[in-house]
Amino acid sequence: MYTLREREDLLAGQGPSGPHPDALCKLPRDGAGKGIPTVALPEMRSGGIGIVLSTIMSRVQVPHGALSDGMRTQAAAHAIGQSHLHYYKALERQGEVTFIRTAHDLQQVAAAWPSRGPDSPIGLILSMESADPILGPDDVEFWFEAGLRSVSLTHFGINTWGHGTGTKGGLYACAYPLLEALQAAGIALDVTHAADIAFWQLLEAWDGPLHASHCNCRSLVPGQRHLSDEMIKALADRGGVIGVVFAEPMLNPDWNFDDPASFSASTAQRSMTAVVDHIDHICQLTGSIEHVALGTDLDGGFGREWAPTDYDTIADLQRFLSILERRGYGPADRDAIAHGNLLRFMGDVLPKGSP
Amino acid sequence: MKGRLIVDSHLDLGFSALQVNRDLMQPAATIRTHDPMDVLDNFGSCTVSLPELRRGKVGIVCATVMSRLDPTDRATRTGMYAQSQTHGVGRGHLAYYQALDRLGQVEMLHTRRQLDNAEHRWREAEIPADGSGPPIGVVLSMESADPILDPDQVPEWHAAGLRMVSLSHYGTSTYSHGTATEGGLLPPAGPLLKALAAAGIIIDVTHLTDEAHWELLSCYDGPICASHHNCRALTPGQRQLTNDMILSIAERGGVIGAAFDAWMLDPAWRRDLRPGDQQTAATLQTVVEHIDHIAQLTGTSQHCGIGTDLDGGFGAEQAPRDLNTIADLPNLVPLLHEKGFSSQDVDGILAGNWLRLLRDHWRDPT
Repeated sequence: MYTLREREDLLAGQGPSGPHPDALCKLPRDGAGKGIPTVALPEMRSGGIGIVLSTIMSRVQVPHGALSDGMRTQAAAHAIGQSHLHYYKALERQGEVTFIRTAHDLQQVAAAWPSRGPDSPIGLILSMESADPILGPDDVEFWFEAGLRSVSLTHFGINTWGHGTGTKGGLYACAYPLLEALQAAGIALDVTHAADIAFWQLLEAWDGPLHASHCNCRSLVPGQRHLSDEMIKALADRGGVIGVVFAEPMLNPDWNFDDPASFSASTAQRSMTAVVDHIDHICQLTGSIEHVALGTDLDGGFGREWAPTDYDTIADLQRFLSILERRGYGPADRDAIAHGNLLRFMGDVLPKGSP
Repeated sequence: MKGRLIVDSHLDLGFSALQVNRDLMQPAATIRTHDPMDVLDNFGSCTVSLPELRRGKVGIVCATVMSRLDPTDRATRTGMYAQSQTHGVGRGHLAYYQALDRLGQVEMLHTRRQLDNAEHRWREAEIPADGSGPPIGVVLSMESADPILDPDQVPEWHAAGLRMVSLSHYGTSTYSHGTATEGGLLPPAGPLLKALAAAGIIIDVTHLTDEAHWELLSCYDGPICASHHNCRALTPGQRQLTNDMILSIAERGGVIGAAFDAWMLDPAWRRDLRPGDQQTAATLQTVVEHIDHIAQLTGTSQHCGIGTDLDGGFGAEQAPRDLNTIADLPNLVPLLHEKGFSSQDVDGILAGNWLRLLRDHWRDPT
């Protein structure tokens, strides 16, 4: 039994202003405070997390306040992005991870899972959060060759390509040639962090595979960071899969990413059952188990303080699966959420590859 | 005005752009308005950017990949827990230079022909007051060899343009003890040095401990230099070169780049005080004294060069007090003449000696 998760950034904190990453160290087992890391390779292995989408994450944004990790130029965002890529490649050289570039690679990693050893490499599908590191349509080939298989155009604020979380607006004109190049390369489009206007523009302009790597439901938690019911249905109609997020700000209805006044410094109050509510909602709305997966974001700039109250490290995702079963999801449904849906989705996205 | 070409053998442009988060395509005055207070506190007032380099006719620079093992580092944001992380950060610096190359802001120099062309282009260039002009020639160097994961990876780095490597930086790297520690080379240094020598990459002895310096010289017979290093006879401390070390580098045909950091120029500089809370007595004249010391000791100016380190984690507050930005480097010229250096000597110190060393050891693909 393994879990396919989206959006695991082993390098979170390696950016310009973050704390030191602990990815290869044992996680601290005591102490409480902001930013206590919960995601590292040993915990991923003991939690049965065998395949992840792991990001290139850098954006063009004048650094300010809590968003102090934006870069001033696309050249710098590109370079930070490459530093993430080469960190993963160094891990691959050391046998810690293995890049999944083709459907064949994906099948191989999935097939080897039942006989895995304690040191087996974790399968990594390269993704990108904010497309600023792509210098232009003619840079797409470089990134595809590097293994990139899923891209969100925006992140927080306004970037090179359009409007993202916390802003109101659509795509910029330069986004359309980029979308064409991404689609031609066979890269999936991740609509996470698109502003509402941009979301619908993306759906109109894009014919290729679509998903939301880490998004919850707006009908449960307000704000455009989350997917409205119409958006969920539109994604489901296009065969998309939505990864649910394990973060207090995305589970607590008092939070709203559109309204900084709602930001609370308080620690998490919700347990992992709050995540199941979002899964329930997506399944009820789409009438299907096929459009939901895990996209925890548990190393996305926060630590244990904003993770669910009954969660300590990423290894606890196995306990989450038990919670799903207690909430009435049978083994087949549980497996679809844990890995089946994303395996299906990514299997369709990835180029076939040689056997 | 034409002015003289200057070669700077040590700048941390990638670190400045990615970890300090400066847009190096802007003039220093603009960057100073961008920098938030915490950046000013940690890294000082910006003195180095591409327009400033062009205004100073600093047309060719050795620009670093800089990341090291150092879990205690909280200041430079480049000290890491694992070598895989230093590799990631280092490749980011390389990718930044490649992105600037794509924009026509710099030219990565891989071959002797490219080096010759960059020298010719810059020697002929008029200095524009607005900081526009030809791309800056970038020779890729590395400060602490941690980003090289193993000897097998040396050819990959060489193909990316790497031409100069120091084994250590502050603290202890994978390969050697470095500044502020006591100890020599570490076992992985042997195979790495072999691979670097085979690739024709110059070893930079800057930031080695005394013990590691002498150990390196005894076990390695390839080309060496000291990219940013001053004289211990004038400024005490392990960070500077003893007279014997200077002679040992000169004997191997090496070049020593004069560093423009008040800590390395001014014996009264206090590291326990913040740069903004003190004022150094060091001036460009102090730098000239270090250059002259090396010339007197070795009997020639051929081992003297410029390796400012002016964006190495400090700013104008910790630089010679008569320097505002790196565009002020040409003010060295009259001071060097006053010291008795001939016009030919001055050209060698500012550019020719480094270009000679690079040329002597670069192997172009046939």
